[in-house]
Amino acid sequence: MKYTTFNQQSVNSLSEPMFFGNPVNVARYDQQKHSIFEKLIEKQISFFWRPEEVDVSRDRVDFQKLTDPEKHIFISNLKYQTLLDSVQGRSPNIAFLPIISLPELETWVETWSFFETIHSRSYTHILRNLFSDPSDIFDDIVVNDEIKRRASDISRYYDDLIFATQLWQTQGEGTHTVDGETHVINQRELKKKLYLCMNSVNALEAIRFYVSFACTFAFAERKLMEGNSKIIRLIARDENLHLTSTQHILNIWAKGKDDPEMAEIAEECKDQAREIFMCAVAQEKEWADYLFKDGSMIGLNKQILCEYVEYIANQRMAAIGLDTPFDVKSNPLPWMNNYLNSDNVQVAPQESEISSYLVGQIDSSVSEDDFADFEL
Amino acid sequence: MSNSDERFHIDIVDVGPVSASTDKTLLETIEAHNIDVHFHCREGFCGACRTKLLCGKVSYTTDPLAYIDDDEILPCCCIPTSALKIDIPR
Repeated sequence: MKYTTFNQQSVNSLSEPMFFGNPVNVARYDQQKHSIFEKLIEKQISFFWRPEEVDVSRDRVDFQKLTDPEKHIFISNLKYQTLLDSVQGRSPNIAFLPIISLPELETWVETWSFFETIHSRSYTHILRNLFSDPSDIFDDIVVNDEIKRRASDISRYYDDLIFATQLWQTQGEGTHTVDGETHVINQRELKKKLYLCMNSVNALEAIRFYVSFACTFAFAERKLMEGNSKIIRLIARDENLHLTSTQHILNIWAKGKDDPEMAEIAEECKDQAREIFMCAVAQEKEWADYLFKDGSMIGLNKQILCEYVEYIANQRMAAIGLDTPFDVKSNPLPWMNNYLNSDNVQVAPQESEISSYLVGQIDSSVSEDDFADFEL
Repeated sequence: MSNSDERFHIDIVDVGPVSASTDKTLLETIEAHNIDVHFHCREGFCGACRTKLLCGKVSYTTDPLAYIDDDEILPCCCIPTSALKIDIPR
């Protein structure tokens, strides 16, 4: 079905499914089929921040004092974070927007992606401060085998969905041969690809990001690279919200609260969804191997990081109705909670009481006492 | 609103009973009793503290954004309004 940027037919978005219904026409938010996405948009916008607000100048001094293995951990971690946000800054838009049918979900995806671009900009902010020319770091992201292996797994499901959607939009359902390869395109196949893609995004937001956060905050625990940690704290708060959104989408499908066919697919592809999670866990453990290849740092080593991956995977898998395959009972990195607690994220004082801080606010409450000293 | 002196009996599966006041969130009460509980954001949007509510009622201090099932609650942003029976995942 051809995509149209403004669907001329009148559609009732309250009865559309989240994906693969009619294209959205009017961007209206007064009514929502799934009000959670409207709430997520509002929350995310209230989190707005700019990398330049955070002073990272002290980090340069700290960085010079790090040992070589620590420098390797810090920079590799930053490269990985840059990769993750490079993917997330564009992929949800390109993969999901053409097939979304609800205005609130469409805007949520746009808002989500936009915040990932803020994250990408903050990596440049951090690196520009550490190196007079950060080109080597950025250039290595596309040639470093350890990072490339992750990148291909992260982008695979997106690319698959995007390609299938393009075929469907231009050639319709059927069997199509492109460059000698045969592709079967029908609604069911497209929806399966969407389901797997959403699971892969969920695993990315649920596990991959948290491994990188743990590395950043391990430095902050030693009072090192604190500017960087302040930025990552803001990023972690956003990612928490993004994770909530993918968990909502997966659960809405699985509980049959949206497209009944998606509920069937969720059941049918449960093993594949689990496999995506297990794969992410295995890859993150491999990554820990690479990070600590030259030596550990105080407070964090390969074993603890691997335990944390398992601990966080148990929680994230339970959240989407999967089993908890790992035997880790307590949090191996309890201090992580101090950094993920949104109360500890520094905000401008006038904004800490959000409800009372409104631009151009007018006091509309008038009590009778206000006229007590008023005489005619 | 609720009287801050009011206390409710909270029965936590596999842990035991605790007493909760209504001027604290359920998460704060659980922590005050040194019971291990997961949390991240403490604001209802991450879902790390998701807990099964087996019996009783709670009211939310902020609208919970994280996904919770019909039989689940987010202790970080709710206060008990009756005696509760909960099961904290571990």
